[in-house]
Amino acid sequence: MEKTHEKIDINQLDKDQLKTFSDFLISYNRLTEMCFKDCVRDFTSHEVKETEVKCSLNCMEKYLKMNQRVSQRFQEFQMIANENAMAMLKKTGK
Amino acid sequence: MDMSQISPADQAKVQVMQEMEIEMMSDLYNRMTTACHKKCIPPRYSESELGKGEMVCIDRCVAKYLDIHEHIGKKLTAMSMQDAELMKNMTS
Repeated sequence: MEKTHEKIDINQLDKDQLKTFSDFLISYNRLTEMCFKDCVRDFTSHEVKETEVKCSLNCMEKYLKMNQRVSQRFQEFQMIANENAMAMLKKTGK
Repeated sequence: MDMSQISPADQAKVQVMQEMEIEMMSDLYNRMTTACHKKCIPPRYSESELGKGEMVCIDRCVAKYLDIHEHIGKKLTAMSMQDAELMKNMTS
């Protein structure tokens, strides 16, 4: 019993790690697509311009900062929702 | 909650439901991020810092997105419940 439980935990960890890694890769690709679309418009030369690089890097940094803020707000909302659910449960349980 | 009182089949069901909920939440989060990015961040990247207006916009965008999500959820549940009721009446 003890052993099977441990095995499940290890599998779970692997699954979570893989998920994190795949999430990272997906957001990497999405970031490239988005910033490329917004920053690279000139196709008269195949050289990437200084301004295009700068724009893309700013785009990435800004997106990450935005993501951080969205995540903060999201967590706040979830906490409030959880508290409300708990309060409801207490009310109906009693 | 005491998990030992629930049968293994039900435990598995609960776990699948929880996983689905987590996946749904992360999908919601990703869609919201994309939507608010589109609406709040103009595609001119002369700076890497978020502007003050952009920050306010993001805060409001998240609040409104989740509010709309809740409203739609309520309406959707009501409608599907009504549908189920109608189907029950038709078959009986």
